[in-house]
Amino acid sequence: MLSIKNLHARIGEKEILRGINLEVKAGEVHAIMGPNGSGKSTLASVLAGREHYEVTDGSVDFLGKDLLDLAPEARAAEGVFLAFQYPVEIPGVSTTNFMKSAVNEIRKYRGEEALDAVQFLKMFKEKMAYVNIDQSLLSRSLNEGFSGGEKKRNEIFQMAVLNPKLAILDETDSGLDIDALRIVAEGVNKLKSPDNATIVVTHYQRLLDYIVPDFVHVLYKGRIVKSGTKELALELEEKGYDWIISALVD
Amino acid sequence: MATDTLVTISLGKEKQAAMDRFLAKGFPTNKWEEWKYASLKSLNDVDWNWNTSEAPAATPLLAIETALHVQTLNGKFSVHSALPQGIEILEFDAFAQQNPNFIAGWIHRNPILEQNSLYDLNEALTSSHQVIWVKAGTILDRPILHQYVADVSIASAIQSKVLIYLEKGASLTWVDDLSTLSSSESILSNYVQEIWVEEAAQLTFVKTQDFALKTTHIDHTFIFQQGNSQVDMFTFSINGGFVRNNLHFYVDGENVLSNLNGLYVPGNNEFIDSHTVVDHRKPNCESNELYKGVLLGNSTGVFNGKIFVRPDAQKTNAFQSCKNVLASDKATMNTKPQLEIWADDVKCSHGTTTGQLSDEALFYMRSRGISEEAAKTLLMLAFVQQVIDKVEIPELRDSISNRVVAKIQQALGV
Ligand SMILES: Nc1ncnc2c1ncn2[C@@H]1O[C@H](COP(=O)(O)OP(=O)(O)O)[C@@H](O)[C@H]1O
Ligand SMILES: [Mg+2]
Repeated sequence: MLSIKNLHARIGEKEILRGINLEVKAGEVHAIMGPNGSGKSTLASVLAGREHYEVTDGSVDFLGKDLLDLAPEARAAEGVFLAFQYPVEIPGVSTTNFMKSAVNEIRKYRGEEALDAVQFLKMFKEKMAYVNIDQSLLSRSLNEGFSGGEKKRNEIFQMAVLNPKLAILDETDSGLDIDALRIVAEGVNKLKSPDNATIVVTHYQRLLDYIVPDFVHVLYKGRIVKSGTKELALELEEKGYDWIISALVD
Repeated sequence: MATDTLVTISLGKEKQAAMDRFLAKGFPTNKWEEWKYASLKSLNDVDWNWNTSEAPAATPLLAIETALHVQTLNGKFSVHSALPQGIEILEFDAFAQQNPNFIAGWIHRNPILEQNSLYDLNEALTSSHQVIWVKAGTILDRPILHQYVADVSIASAIQSKVLIYLEKGASLTWVDDLSTLSSSESILSNYVQEIWVEEAAQLTFVKTQDFALKTTHIDHTFIFQQGNSQVDMFTFSINGGFVRNNLHFYVDGENVLSNLNGLYVPGNNEFIDSHTVVDHRKPNCESNELYKGVLLGNSTGVFNGKIFVRPDAQKTNAFQSCKNVLASDKATMNTKPQLEIWADDVKCSHGTTTGQLSDEALFYMRSRGISEEAAKTLLMLAFVQQVIDKVEIPELRDSISNRVVAKIQQALGV
């Protein structure tokens, strides 16, 4: 589904991604771990199309399309979704209005008919149940004054509505207490299917107790320096990153 | 020069004095401090008809329920429905005869008029000076709609002047629906309003401005507030080649609340200038000023907000905020807050911002599948909606919203 080859990206003079290789197949869950500042959010943003990172080398193929060639909105329409580490406040635009615009623009891109108010109502109601979110939150200005947990639940609600083929969750666990974490993780698990894939970015293994990965990768200084199965996450939890880093010959 | 012909007009003594004041100063130029961004020198090159007898084409009325409908068509005032109980409309001279006490105060009103020669021009040439007299305790539950239209077939300078007098405890919503129709002829629309809000009276004033590109509109709205009164002022500048709004509040009593709301969306080749003054002269009063602008195409905007807190005006709360979005890199916004505070026990704040839409917000929206243009439109509409939503009459709110939305969408090509 997703094939990243030798991906290099920088911001200004600073090279942040320095040759990423990653293969993700439908139905898989990949965890990307690594210390702060290693480039996890940068990778997630580059995949979603954030323009202020400059891709200097490498390629990303998503379901046979050159992902790097597409505008962010086209990537969304093709099925890429990024749950932001820091969801952005949009004053004056409610989640419902935001999602109505998003859904209908994507439907337009795909040549499908726009949904009407009644269809939206029904769909939102169904998706709200995934993350146990209520209507009053969805009517408020998006993310404005939301608690950390509300923001993250709202991200997963948006994911449920857009039903992506590839979901990238950037530190979706950060700032959540254990109950909120469970709700969010359950939401993600309910959305899993053999046809879609998930990349979970985190620097704690905690979330991986709930969203169990098939593969775990360690990102360090812009490269994947180690890959393994879910046991690797447990090992990292126990021993930290130093043993991997010190084994590296730069 | 166009003003040469003014010398030949014969006027009464007071009007002649006003004319002489105007002629001594002429049209403002950008050498004048108050007109730094806004020269009217080019008005000298137009061969103005100073006294049109034309009538505008019929224009549809704003679809709102009203208590009364009045019109000013090319400067001529008329009343179009039965007067509700407690309202009288009459010529200024007749009003003055009946209200000597009011006039005794009124002649000393001393608004800040330096560098405002157009006020003098208006006084010299206006043919009708109407008073809307709202008697003590009269409470109108529906608005008075004032439809103001200018439409001419040769370049014309049009003057009009209205005095709104709210007696003690009166309550009124005034909707000022201003437009010009002529797209090919120049119009100088010079409009003065003096509004007297007596003890415990309440006024909501919604002004919409929808002018043609060749129109120069000069708006002088002077509001005098007495104790315990409240005024909620809205100025929506939607279209106009050159619009200058002078909005002055003179707070002459205690426990007064003055709210000033403004929204301007100038487009290509348009210039919209808001000069506001809040003059706190008495203690224990509050003013809140919120102005927002979306500057489209190569437009220019100006915001100059003065707040004076005089030595007597202790415990004044005066807040001012002016926020602008430049929707194109050819647009310009000039902002200048000016606070002059002579009292020590006051709370005042001001802030102006001018910027582009947030990149982070745009990326967030686009990452959900919303196109760049649609994302920009959504953000701008959300930005302006804050001001529009404060208008309490749904049909009026919708009319303003629709016009603003259409203008933004057209400029962004969506
Ligand atoms: N906008 C930016 N400008 C400059 N440096 C940046 C910017 N964004 C990220 N970086 C730098 O890139 C590196 C990787 O950041 P990030 O991808 O956020 O790491 P992670 O998500 O793994 O904590 C860090 O050193 C960070 O300081
Ligand atoms: Mg990060």
